[in-house]
Amino acid sequence: MIVGGRVLVGVAGLVLWQLAQWVLGAEWISGPVDVLQRMAEITVNGQLVRHTAATLMEAAFGFVLGGGAGILLPFALRLSPRLTAALDPFFAAALGVPKLALAPLLILWFGIGIFSKVVFVAAVVFFFLFFNTLAGVRSMEPRLAAAVRVFGGREWTVTREIAWHTALPYVFAGLKVALPRAISAAVVGEFIASDRGLGYYINNARAMADTVGLFTGVAVVTLLVLAIDAALERLQARSLAWRPLAREIGV
Amino acid sequence: MSPGRAVRDRITVAIAVLAAWQLGTLVFGAHWVSPPLATGQRLLQLLANGELRRHTEFTLAAAVGGFLVGGVPGALIPFALRRASRLAAILDPYFVAGYGMPKLALAPLFILWFGIGLASKVALVGSIVFFLILFATAAGVRGADRRLVAMARVAGASEQMVARHVVWPGAVPYIFAGLKISLSYAIGAAVVGEMISSNRGLGYLIQAASQDFDTTTVFAGLVALTVLIVVVNELVQTAERWLLRWRPVDAQPEGRLVTVA
Amino acid sequence: MSGAAPLLEVRGLGKRFEARAGRAEAFWAIRDLSFSVADREFLTIVGPSGSGKSTLLNLIAQIDSTTEGEVRFRDQLIASPTAGTLRPGWDRQFGYVTQDDTLLPWRTLLENVLFPLRVQNRLSTDMRERAAGLLHAVGLEGFERHYPHELSGGMRKRAALIRTLVYDPPVILMDEPFGALDAQTRTQLQEDLLRLWNLGRKTIVFVTHDIAEAIALGDRTLVFTRAPAHVHSEHAIPLARPRDVASIYTVDGFADLHAAIRKELA
Repeated sequence: MIVGGRVLVGVAGLVLWQLAQWVLGAEWISGPVDVLQRMAEITVNGQLVRHTAATLMEAAFGFVLGGGAGILLPFALRLSPRLTAALDPFFAAALGVPKLALAPLLILWFGIGIFSKVVFVAAVVFFFLFFNTLAGVRSMEPRLAAAVRVFGGREWTVTREIAWHTALPYVFAGLKVALPRAISAAVVGEFIASDRGLGYYINNARAMADTVGLFTGVAVVTLLVLAIDAALERLQARSLAWRPLAREIGV
Repeated sequence: MSPGRAVRDRITVAIAVLAAWQLGTLVFGAHWVSPPLATGQRLLQLLANGELRRHTEFTLAAAVGGFLVGGVPGALIPFALRRASRLAAILDPYFVAGYGMPKLALAPLFILWFGIGLASKVALVGSIVFFLILFATAAGVRGADRRLVAMARVAGASEQMVARHVVWPGAVPYIFAGLKISLSYAIGAAVVGEMISSNRGLGYLIQAASQDFDTTTVFAGLVALTVLIVVVNELVQTAERWLLRWRPVDAQPEGRLVTVA
Repeated sequence: MSGAAPLLEVRGLGKRFEARAGRAEAFWAIRDLSFSVADREFLTIVGPSGSGKSTLLNLIAQIDSTTEGEVRFRDQLIASPTAGTLRPGWDRQFGYVTQDDTLLPWRTLLENVLFPLRVQNRLSTDMRERAAGLLHAVGLEGFERHYPHELSGGMRKRAALIRTLVYDPPVILMDEPFGALDAQTRTQLQEDLLRLWNLGRKTIVFVTHDIAEAIALGDRTLVFTRAPAHVHSEHAIPLARPRDVASIYTVDGFADLHAAIRKELA
């Protein structure tokens, strides 16, 4: 019954979308029919693959770079609680600055090629993962650590076994949020200055008054991100099976 | 650790950051890394000639405008859907999809529709804030203490009164948490929208300077943006403390874990 | 007690906690605390809450440092203000069972029980058999693949117990281990503990605030004062073993002992 309702709403949405094109005009809105047609076209002529690959590459490299650093750093910081405490207010300030605002600076430094986007994505992803992982590491129960030490476990064992497993749900929460954001950041970076990628395709379409291209590009990005979201949900549910409730941390 | 030592440690780190910044200038050259002093001077310049104020106003207007345009419906819909649980269930995956999709990717679309002025930025910010507030409020409405609701009904309260006197106050902390996050996102989104296409705003300032290879202004703009956000966050924190003074300190519903991209 | 040297000796032990945020002033949790424990003795310690009993165990287990006095194990100085860095567990000589079970929530029951051996690099077929035997002894056989949150409180407590027994430390410290359990489960656990102890007599130092428990389990019991805690008195427990924990109240001599200790704690 509810599924039926959802299908109904979905179909109604598509119909309204197509109607909007007819009512408001094709220069303002491209309906699902035109979009699908264009998607088929650019799949065939290889444009879709080329641009998607560029964006995904930027996102992937940046994700690995920023994510790796963001996950490992809090564990390294465990070695010096004093340094961590001293850095605290700067973390808060860094948290507030929109990392996306760094795009022009990075493009200034690294040009409009892929590299600037990779660094950009890395910066965005780093902060997500760093703060989530840090929260996870901090939430470690000291009693568990004490018990392991009594068995004869050394600091490395405490970090690897307890800090890591305690932080894992937080890391996952961070990864879940960061991966789609990585793609989003890559696209935004391409908006600002690029010569290829889905963001370039979208912005270029706008500049050339190619409304269909614009809608198509946005549709591709949306589908890509939503697909990744869904895949991550499934992955998370499986690997956190030991938890009493698959509770999400953070947003 | 004593508070004195913490403050001293932080000052040490601040100095270290400035020193590292200066070092960056020395290593990479003033063209790539604008020195702290020059950056500060440019900031003062921009303040003095009113430019900084003009751009900041634009960005804030976009942020606040989008905040209201997106936030008000976002806050109201969960209340409207409170009694229509089937409809809410039907719409749920669409809301989740809308939340998950990258709204920033829509920026060119909004520019196509609304031009490069304030309106397109408001639309962009609004689309982002809408979903943030929607989910935050939904969490708050759902979390309404059933016992309190039952008690109110038993005492004879109408649905409207229940909504106003029990559900709403219970949802406020959640909404507030959403507001806090949204405000940062709002400014960030406004800035990004300006970078993509605009003629005013802090984002425009930074982007235009970048295209002119005016590194000093880029740095100055970023510093100004950081200060703006820190100040806004402080104001929001203060407002929250005042509005939610009845709550025990520990009972904040999450909040700080999500970072702003 | 035989004339042999005590296994564990505490002399003039003292622990002072400094003033901190949330604590207005420094205070002595324990001061001038002295007692000894013989090999294979089951010593219980009873005292009012907050009387530094947990602190004492933390000091012996080398999780916290002493302010004054010393702890000697097998006539070797293992803890004193000048003794150098702490070695938690003192090379696996001490086991420590606390009130909240510190099982690793992300590991199965079997993994948890084997964990100390893994940490100590002693996972062998013999050891695995030993673990299996212990699991069987406390009735946890068949639950090896369960996660802690799938087990009841009593089962988790048993798991924590055999996790400590599996690496065979000569001394086991227990800090109100059954305090969080309901009365019936608690009695069962007490019986399990005595049964396990019978199989391979270890030295146990068992802290509790429950006088009945202290008498039912121990060979000897020490009564502690409030903070700054020291030994107020000591009572030998002449009740015959094996003991029936469930009906200990009816045993001759229990009532008098109970009354006497209760008076001292008042």
